[in-house]
Amino acid sequence: MSTLDMTSTHSRPVPHPKRSLITRLHMGTGVVVGIIFAALAYYALKSSLLTYTDKVADPLTPHTDNIVLLGSMFAWSIGFLVGIGAFIGPWRWMIGKDLTDEEILYMAGDGQGIKRYFKYCTDHKVVGIQYLVGVMTLLGVGGTMAMMIRTNLARPGGHFVTATVYNSLVGLHGITMIIAMIIVATGPFGNYIMPIMIGAYDMAFPRLNALSWWVLFTAIPVLCSAWFLGGIPTGWTAYAPLSVQAGPGMNAFVATIIIFAVSTAVAGMNITTTVVAMRTKGMKWNRVPIFVIGSTISVALAIPAFPTFMLAMVQTGLDRTFNTGFFDANMGGSGWLYANLFWIMGHPEVYVILIPGVAALMEIVPVFVRKPLFSYNAAIMGFAGIAGLSVLVWAHHMYIAGWAPSLNGPFMVTTEMISIPTGLLFLVLIGTLWRGKPWMKLPMLSVFAFIWDFLIGGITGIYLSDVPADGYLHGSMYVTAHFHFTLMGAALTGAIGGLAYWYPKMTGRMLNERAGYISFWFVQIGFNVLFLGMFMAGAEGQPRRVMDYAAVFAHSNMISTIGAYGVGIGMIILLWAVIHSWTKGTIAPMNPWGAKTLEWTVPYPVPLTNFDELPVITSDPYGYGKGK
Amino acid sequence: MADHIEQQLAPTPGERTAIFFKRTDVVRTSLLFIFWTAVFVVLGVVFYPKWMPLVMSTELKSAEAIMVWFTVISAPIAGLVLAITSNAFLNMHRGDTPPPDGPAVRTNGPVVAVWTITSLLFALVAIIWGLTEMNGQAVAAARDAKSAITVEVTGSQWLWTFNYPAQGIETHELNLPVGVPVVFDVKSADVNHSFWPVQLGVKVDANAQVTTVIHTTPTKIGAIDVKCAELCGLYHAYMETNGAVMSKDDFNAWVTAQGGHNA
Amino acid sequence: METPTQSEVSGGKRLVSAIAFLVLGVAVVSTVGFTLHSVSADSQKKSYATVNGTADVNGATLKHAFVSESVFPDDATARANHVNRTNTHPWPFYTEEHLVLPAHSLVTMTLKVYDGGEKLNTNYFAKVLGTVDNTMLVDGQQVSSLAPDAVQHTFTIHGLPTSTQDSLFVNIPLPKMSDAEMEKNGFHTVVFSFVTGGAGEYVWNCEYPCGDGTYAKFGAVMGQNGYMSGKVSVVNG
Ligand code: HEM
Ligand SMILES: [Cu+2]
Ligand SMILES: [Cu+2]
Ligand SMILES: [Cu+2]
Repeated sequence: MSTLDMTSTHSRPVPHPKRSLITRLHMGTGVVVGIIFAALAYYALKSSLLTYTDKVADPLTPHTDNIVLLGSMFAWSIGFLVGIGAFIGPWRWMIGKDLTDEEILYMAGDGQGIKRYFKYCTDHKVVGIQYLVGVMTLLGVGGTMAMMIRTNLARPGGHFVTATVYNSLVGLHGITMIIAMIIVATGPFGNYIMPIMIGAYDMAFPRLNALSWWVLFTAIPVLCSAWFLGGIPTGWTAYAPLSVQAGPGMNAFVATIIIFAVSTAVAGMNITTTVVAMRTKGMKWNRVPIFVIGSTISVALAIPAFPTFMLAMVQTGLDRTFNTGFFDANMGGSGWLYANLFWIMGHPEVYVILIPGVAALMEIVPVFVRKPLFSYNAAIMGFAGIAGLSVLVWAHHMYIAGWAPSLNGPFMVTTEMISIPTGLLFLVLIGTLWRGKPWMKLPMLSVFAFIWDFLIGGITGIYLSDVPADGYLHGSMYVTAHFHFTLMGAALTGAIGGLAYWYPKMTGRMLNERAGYISFWFVQIGFNVLFLGMFMAGAEGQPRRVMDYAAVFAHSNMISTIGAYGVGIGMIILLWAVIHSWTKGTIAPMNPWGAKTLEWTVPYPVPLTNFDELPVITSDPYGYGKGK
Repeated sequence: MADHIEQQLAPTPGERTAIFFKRTDVVRTSLLFIFWTAVFVVLGVVFYPKWMPLVMSTELKSAEAIMVWFTVISAPIAGLVLAITSNAFLNMHRGDTPPPDGPAVRTNGPVVAVWTITSLLFALVAIIWGLTEMNGQAVAAARDAKSAITVEVTGSQWLWTFNYPAQGIETHELNLPVGVPVVFDVKSADVNHSFWPVQLGVKVDANAQVTTVIHTTPTKIGAIDVKCAELCGLYHAYMETNGAVMSKDDFNAWVTAQGGHNA
Repeated sequence: METPTQSEVSGGKRLVSAIAFLVLGVAVVSTVGFTLHSVSADSQKKSYATVNGTADVNGATLKHAFVSESVFPDDATARANHVNRTNTHPWPFYTEEHLVLPAHSLVTMTLKVYDGGEKLNTNYFAKVLGTVDNTMLVDGQQVSSLAPDAVQHTFTIHGLPTSTQDSLFVNIPLPKMSDAEMEKNGFHTVVFSFVTGGAGEYVWNCEYPCGDGTYAKFGAVMGQNGYMSGKVSVVNG
């Protein structure tokens, strides 16, 4: 039986700091305090703003509804963090003290079994699992919405749902998936695996680590509340001034992004510091596992990118509450200002999503092909080149916006240049495959799917970045197909590969292989059918984000919907495999794949401080192969 | 097997090449390369023209050409990547223990260099192609400015309206004379929209308070669909209207019927 | 190299569990879908036009169908006029949302409009378009357009012209009531006729910016189904 699971954590004495508030706080108290804060904010704001009413014709009257809703949402988030005990440490500092050693040990959650997953727990492995469950939940919710979208689009005049609901489905599917994909690799694997990979006892700032997760957690109910506030009409890009015109649901979007931006800033800073400062002895920069490099570049890129989105949302919030007119041309503002701020975040963000997925696969290939990673330097140059160029290309999303036509040429140049570092990533993968005999296991399958999907995503990206072609394709289903090939076909496939690969270390068990294979083929075949259908619809001239379309697009949309159901079935099977194997799978040996990175040198369950004695590194982890 | 051959490298580069291309994995990869390259060429050359709407302007023609030709140009690169990948896939090792170690090739300078230069050239082709087309379109627009008719396009949630100032008419249908350059001055009465006469292959956003401009010359007679390509709220999907490119006589007759005057 | 130890769960049990989970998953997603469907799509009741005799239009004899609509500024005014509808929001609304009209017919529509109004965002919609002669009757008087600042709402039918269906475009600006008239529950009666083509699905919406306060006054009531927008189905037979 699964005796291995809990025993070793139970064998150690559980610390019990006496009379400490910390022992009594958990997710439940967080929710209660959060709701109390939200309710207080609601009534306080509502009653103090009674003097204004939205009915007054003066266009400069503040919109009380929006103020009240935004205020309550932020109050919920802060209240939750108070209630779970996030501020106890900072509070002690403020009064010139700190947590006691016992309290610190308690917060690490050792020996507390399943309970610690619901606490403000500082152990990076607990945070990793929390992120994993969070990501899977978000993907499930986003995927369900995707099924509704495709059902509505199955045939022309479908009207499975109304326009209000359809537009909300598209926008909330988009933002849910984007949030999930930003954290899909760096959340679970970056937190659980990466510190072990670099030979560290924990993250650099364990309390901030817990903070990043729980802040993100508070954004989830806020995002869901959009559904109960009338939805959002804007899509995930939330373009102004439509976002200013939108109903109360838009407040949920604004608050979610602001909260999420705080979380990513905290997490990004923590991961970057950990990798820079806490690598074990001998782990020089040219010996760092490639996944660590990729994740670090990804979060480091997010650090400058997200604040612009946050700023754009603060301005949207102000426009929606106090009529500040940042994005209202009639008041001297500009919608182009919003578009610029959004895409200055938006383009780096797609690489924030992509890079960790690719890096996870680069970690996998050498292990399963039993060859060194081909040209480690090219991999790093690829990541760094992409990250560097990605901040200079944002206006390729605005070629046809009319904003600065004379900049279209320069932005086209920078964008097309990205194909060079991207090409290096392909070279690393195929170079490692060359003359290899890949061990056909679940993680390895993802590598093959990734190469096919990302190739298609990449090539179609080359036309989209050429201005004359974008003049036709922009805003069409073609774009939607293109970015799903990169976000889903590439990044999500990479993350699923990573899950299959690290699952044994994170759960102590092997992921069910047969279910994994079945799911893999359902997802991949379904995915390709789905989005090839969408390429077709786009080339034929169907705009994106439309709830209805002309009869000429009937075939391509039917193809897409059939593919989508295939993906849905495959994903449910994968979810089953993950849940079932977690408690009932084959017990995994310490190093099931025979890999050479450090995480495979520690047992499961991983001890609280990972290593009794920190290892010393003498080479990079890719010393496979014979000859030379 | 492969390593065995490598051990007895022939002395001259020519003979080494010959031996390289006799290796079974190289032969297999080469065949796969031809196969995948052909697949991509066919995808580009056959499917795009089949899917795209009737091409009624040089702009749409150039968009289509980019989609077709970039696919063809990238086909060998895609072919190589997929050939190596699918060869590895076919070469798979099954079982519960890992395969024997492969050759310990850590990198290969010339390969990395050739790969990088090739992708640089490829990017340059895409850039130069795009810039040339853009330049051509800008030159044509400047040249045609005098002979062009102007249509003022207004997007309002969720309809398009068109004003022909020289003809003095206002409509909700976009009719244009064939062969006459046209300038669209586009603006919005409310949120952002994007003006997209599909068969003309051009597009520009409609913004409040500012006018954005695009040019084209319809080259063929036929129906055009005018759509909105920027999510603009509730009935964005229905923000479509029809129109046509017609002979000059038909156009003049239509203008007269609308109560306008022919310039 | 260590090999994994065998799992203690039998293959058969695993299969049952997996299939049960798949069925459950599909059921959950479908339930969510159908819940969403039932709370939103087509909950609107349909209003069928009644055919009564024939009409001659430009030499052709067509079926003549009749349908009516009202526009109220709020629920209270509606109730005062014996229309019982309770809305989620205190917004102006059209009483009929989904009109079903016969194909290839002359449709005569009567609108009773009770709301006040102001200026349009786009003056074009102050014109009567797409009706027979491009005119309408306002309280019995023939009118072909209104002043753009004297409009209360517009009734504008359009659709996806690219589809195989015939195009249908009708725009009716509705004259506003003065505040004094509104006090007394006054209304205008607007009558107009248009010709339908073959069967097809269209939408109608209001082009008058009646969504208070927000940008371009197209938020709130204008941004949600059920008040200022709806469907038009043209059906055969
Ligand atoms: C089950 C798999 C999925 C299906 C069937 C699916 C389907 C769709 C569809 C039909 C749309 C709307 C298309 C349009 O009208 O523009 C859409 C939009 C979108 N999807 Fe997905 N999708 C899936 C997974 C994902 C994933 C994994 C991501 C990851 C990032 C993602 C990100 C997005 C985004 C960002 C949008 C754009 C939303 C917007 O236009 O505002 N999707 N998806
Ligand atoms: Cu971009
Ligand atoms: Cu639109
Ligand atoms: Cu209205």
